[in-house]
Amino acid sequence: MHDSSALSSTGETASPPAAGRSRFVLDVRQSLPAWKQSLFLAVSLGLGLALSVAILWVAGISPIDLAGELAGVFNADSLRGVLVQAAPLMLVGLAASLAFRIGFWNLGLDGQMVFGGIFAGAISIYQIGPPSTRLLLMGIAAAVGGSLWCLLAGFLKLRFRVNEIIATLLLNYVAVYFLFHLLYGAWQDAKTAFPQSTPFQPFERLTDLGYGINSGLLIAIVAILAAAWLIHYSRIGFYMRFISANPSMAKVVGIPIRAVTLWTVAISGACAGLAGFVNVASQEGRLTESYADGYVFSGVLIAFLSRNDPIVVAVVGFLIAVLFITGQTLQVFYQIPFTMVQMIEAIIVMSVASSEFFIRHRIRWIR
Amino acid sequence: MLAFLTSWLADAPITAVPYALAALGLIISERSGVLNLTAEGLMLVGALTGVGSCLTFDGHPGLALVVAMVSASCVSLLFAGLVVVLRVNQVIAGLSVVFFCQGLTGLVGTLANWQNKHIEGMAHLAIWPFSEIPVIGRIFFMQDPVVYLTVVIFFLVNYWLSSTMMGLRIRSVGENPAAADAAGISVALHRVLAIVLGSSLIGLAGGYISVVNVKLWVTGMTGGRGWIAVALVVFARWAPWPALWGALLFGCIEAVIPHIAAAGIRVPQYLMMMTPYLATIAVMIWVGATQRVGSSEPGALGQPHVREERR
Repeated sequence: MHDSSALSSTGETASPPAAGRSRFVLDVRQSLPAWKQSLFLAVSLGLGLALSVAILWVAGISPIDLAGELAGVFNADSLRGVLVQAAPLMLVGLAASLAFRIGFWNLGLDGQMVFGGIFAGAISIYQIGPPSTRLLLMGIAAAVGGSLWCLLAGFLKLRFRVNEIIATLLLNYVAVYFLFHLLYGAWQDAKTAFPQSTPFQPFERLTDLGYGINSGLLIAIVAILAAAWLIHYSRIGFYMRFISANPSMAKVVGIPIRAVTLWTVAISGACAGLAGFVNVASQEGRLTESYADGYVFSGVLIAFLSRNDPIVVAVVGFLIAVLFITGQTLQVFYQIPFTMVQMIEAIIVMSVASSEFFIRHRIRWIR
Repeated sequence: MLAFLTSWLADAPITAVPYALAALGLIISERSGVLNLTAEGLMLVGALTGVGSCLTFDGHPGLALVVAMVSASCVSLLFAGLVVVLRVNQVIAGLSVVFFCQGLTGLVGTLANWQNKHIEGMAHLAIWPFSEIPVIGRIFFMQDPVVYLTVVIFFLVNYWLSSTMMGLRIRSVGENPAAADAAGISVALHRVLAIVLGSSLIGLAGGYISVVNVKLWVTGMTGGRGWIAVALVVFARWAPWPALWGALLFGCIEAVIPHIAAAGIRVPQYLMMMTPYLATIAVMIWVGATQRVGSSEPGALGQPHVREERR
């Protein structure tokens, strides 16, 4: 059928199998034409989305209603919401994809967003700097906050060989409890009984630039362009590719692996911190309990689907923002919990990851 | 002071059991070479279905725990299919399953209206003559049946992994799948078996949290205990008994939090709630600083096995 079957001659097909032992055999494909790859990808993605629709149907939303809600996202008003929502998603996707490029599983995106928000909030609450530069200062503080929280996990990995998957995930809980400590304590808005900080001043908010585009989106796009330059044209980008392609070779030829790792981890954390800043300064306008909820897996998903390419991150981030807004609509009108979004994201990742198996392997039935 | 110590240490096994069972389940799976991050999600599945069966049927806690085990095993078949059959990256697959389970349990719990419904729970077992001993009797001989069952499970699993043919095969598949395959051991079959059996223990851990300890279902109620169990496996160097001691340590740390507040000592509540996570990170640092890396890790941990693939 396909010429890659020649590869299977190394294995068991070399000696003809005994009669009666019919079974499945797995061959490794050498290559597959691009259209076939896309076909596999599309089929498995379609199956995943069909499964998601089926689950929602069982949950009480008929596909027609769902299509209606999805179409409703694209009217002018909701589209504004999508664009506002896209900014933090692009930034966490970027954060995840940068870290994944060097094989650092940064799953602490939630925690880094929390610390980005806390650092930005501190600038606002303690009124540091003149009003004209306050917003800039808050953004820088957020990047530093997220970066430091991520570097903690990076340091633990490099110095003590603590697995970063575990470290970053556990640090999420620490960060969230620290946020609760502030919001139920020193930073609580005296005017309300809710766990919220005092609202930011108008000059501490990210405003609309016109055409329904929030300045948060501008931050995300600038970050994505900078990351694209970093990856494709800068020295550190070259080192990152080298390290992920062949770590032992990178070490032998003297690439500063530790420095590159720490820098990448710091930049990744800074992106997630900026995502936290964008969320508190555009959508919420104050620190709340939940401004970082549900972003960690979104980041993983965006990085995974975009194959860690910054430009694609922007596209996928926009699509996931559509999913988020749809999820919020379903939450309001159908009482479907927002965690449903995470479930659909997980189904998408599973189906896309499964398609890679069929792209890379061929299954044959031997008689 | 003695009263404080007694009530604290008497609660420690209750908080330790979920860690111990989840870590043991993960150990079974990881000894077969499958890096398993699914604990957090499967514990939620066990917790939800345990409470759900209590509310749906007449509320027998033993039945609820069995339902929790079976349902977690069923969901783990999804993970097994992804990593064993489809050879998906085990980190990606594990994370997907966790977040899938988080979403699914949130959805089912809300739609079935199982949220915040109080259930009966499980009575404590007083082993009579010994339970009358002061202090020691309360700590060791007045626990619920699952605490004692956990010790039995540890004996059985330890024996099964180290001294039976099946255990040997599972370990060989985890150490060197190519050699095991050449020796005629089905890699896929034994890995699926290890995942499903291990996941039933993880489901039991989750069911224990909701049915026996907290006695109700709240969305996301496991609160990172599954991740702590993953760390515990590294701490225990993939061996059952150290996992039990580690679980007891974490159980003591977690159990002390409510008792400190009850004793009237004023500490910031949310900073106290960080301690299990910070303690886990501290333990991981200690492991990294004192022990050689990879010395007792299963040889093929995290690597999918494809018979004809070059490596």
